[in-house]
Amino acid sequence: MTSALPAHAVERLKGLRTSAHSTGVFTSDFSVNEFLLVRKAGFEPIGLCVGSCVYHVGIQYGSWSQNQELTVLSKAMYHARELAMARMRAEATAMGADGIVGVKLTIKRMEWDEHILEFIAIGTGVVHAAGHQGFRAHDDGPFTSDLSGQDFWSLLHAGYRPVELVMGSCVYHVAHRGMFQTMKAAGSNVELENYTAAMYEAREIAIERMQAEASAAKAEGVVGLEIHEGSHGWQTHVIEFFAVGTAVLPLGEEIAPEKIADPIMVLSVND
Amino acid sequence: MGLFDIFKKSDPEAKAQQAAAEARYEQTVTALSNGRLPAHLIDRLKNSREGTVPWTATMTPSELLIMRSHGIKPVAAVSATCWLHYGWSWTEGHMQGWDAAIERLQAEAKAAGANAVVDVKMRTVPLNIEASMDFTLIGTAVKIDGLPPSENPIVATVPALEFVKLLDASIVPTGIAVGAHYEWLNDWRGRTNLAFAGNLESKPLSTLWETVRRSAHAQLRRRLEKSGGGALAHVNFSQMFEVEDSNDTKKYLARHIVVATTVDVPAEPHLDFRSKTGARLRLADAMPLEFAMAVDLKGEGTPLKGRSRHHQSYSTYEDEGAI
Repeated sequence: MTSALPAHAVERLKGLRTSAHSTGVFTSDFSVNEFLLVRKAGFEPIGLCVGSCVYHVGIQYGSWSQNQELTVLSKAMYHARELAMARMRAEATAMGADGIVGVKLTIKRMEWDEHILEFIAIGTGVVHAAGHQGFRAHDDGPFTSDLSGQDFWSLLHAGYRPVELVMGSCVYHVAHRGMFQTMKAAGSNVELENYTAAMYEAREIAIERMQAEASAAKAEGVVGLEIHEGSHGWQTHVIEFFAVGTAVLPLGEEIAPEKIADPIMVLSVND
Repeated sequence: MGLFDIFKKSDPEAKAQQAAAEARYEQTVTALSNGRLPAHLIDRLKNSREGTVPWTATMTPSELLIMRSHGIKPVAAVSATCWLHYGWSWTEGHMQGWDAAIERLQAEAKAAGANAVVDVKMRTVPLNIEASMDFTLIGTAVKIDGLPPSENPIVATVPALEFVKLLDASIVPTGIAVGAHYEWLNDWRGRTNLAFAGNLESKPLSTLWETVRRSAHAQLRRRLEKSGGGALAHVNFSQMFEVEDSNDTKKYLARHIVVATTVDVPAEPHLDFRSKTGARLRLADAMPLEFAMAVDLKGEGTPLKGRSRHHQSYSTYEDEGAI
């Protein structure tokens, strides 16, 4: 873990529910359905885990007419999220959680300085009610996942367990087009191949990095993958591709496959 | 990562990295302009197919359940982009742009050895670059047990669960079809000027709208004739603009874009309510799906998620959002 917890955080964590301290209080940001399904899946929520990181993102300009990754910004966006997540995970470790479900990653911009971003990671730490240790991540720390309580239940019943919230980031500068190129395209519908190629590059890099993280976590696959495109106060031709998903492993002995019922398909009359 | 990073440029490792990135970019441009996929992309899809790297899926965990029950396996997340400059028609550029992206998405799915792409989302990057936009598709390439890799994988806009629901009813979602049309109305006689009239229909504008919408839908139908089957049109986008001309005549531009998921419905009627013997069939006999009341596990519409309109005292306009 990257940092020691502050004394007041340790104090707060002491009162929480653990397998040894079953009468303790718990905190979570679960809805009713989530709470019920996490318990149904055999887990108890113990406490809300929070990690935060206020980060000064450095400056980097892409050259006017070149498609290129802005590595300074890519590293900043990745490193800041990593710090926030590691701090959240440190809280979970301190409270003895087996994992964190429903991790929400958000970015807040500070109004007084456009280069300062706050990265926040929040999730609910859970323990296995029967004290099963097999749900931990590959490094024996708590697993992390951005799946909701419902998704967590579904995932276990699909025969998988979450290992790690994996992510990859790529901030990319899309080249400006020269006057000559612009004039050539006037009056016709044509593909701008250099822009298309920029999108392919940036997205591929983000996905590859995420997949490399999943490989490092010894996962079998990544579920719930989302690709976000965002601009965090940069110039107009700069965009971040952020790939995020939950790396999963098949359940070994935890739930026998024959105990998992086949799903029943329903047609909703609501939408 | 500080101010002095500029001085690190001479570092041979950084230089090599930059050269590699540039070479890779050049390769991407060459491949795309020759109608091929970049080599490193094909490698990633091949590795996913062979299982040397983890599979990736935009599917939800409950959709993984159908891997067991219906033998559908995710291979890799696939995506395709076409960035189009609209010189002569914005409206019809949408048809051209999406069509090119669909073709590339199919090429990726083929490289992944897949039978279909499910959960295909239509996206556009929020970069406003003059007179152009990107048409991006993101989805999950899937393999169906017992089927050889497809030459022309299906592109389905519906998520994996709905894909299976449709398959259960022997309907195959086959792709995306786009219809688009625009027209100018030159009002040189001032027929749209109704400033002193009472309650009155503006006939020229009604006609304009009607023509444009009908033409877009006719275009969609023509596209379906090629593929057969039907369409579930989920996007209907229309806009009208008024432009003041130099000599005070008004011009109007109307456009309509319709985007649909095409479905292949078997020819024999499924919802024949009367059988040959005259006995009335129940719906459940015609549809292989069972109907039952069920509680939806989605936590929507509950005040505890903070997303619904139950609480708004603490809503802000701050820039905070999903990343």
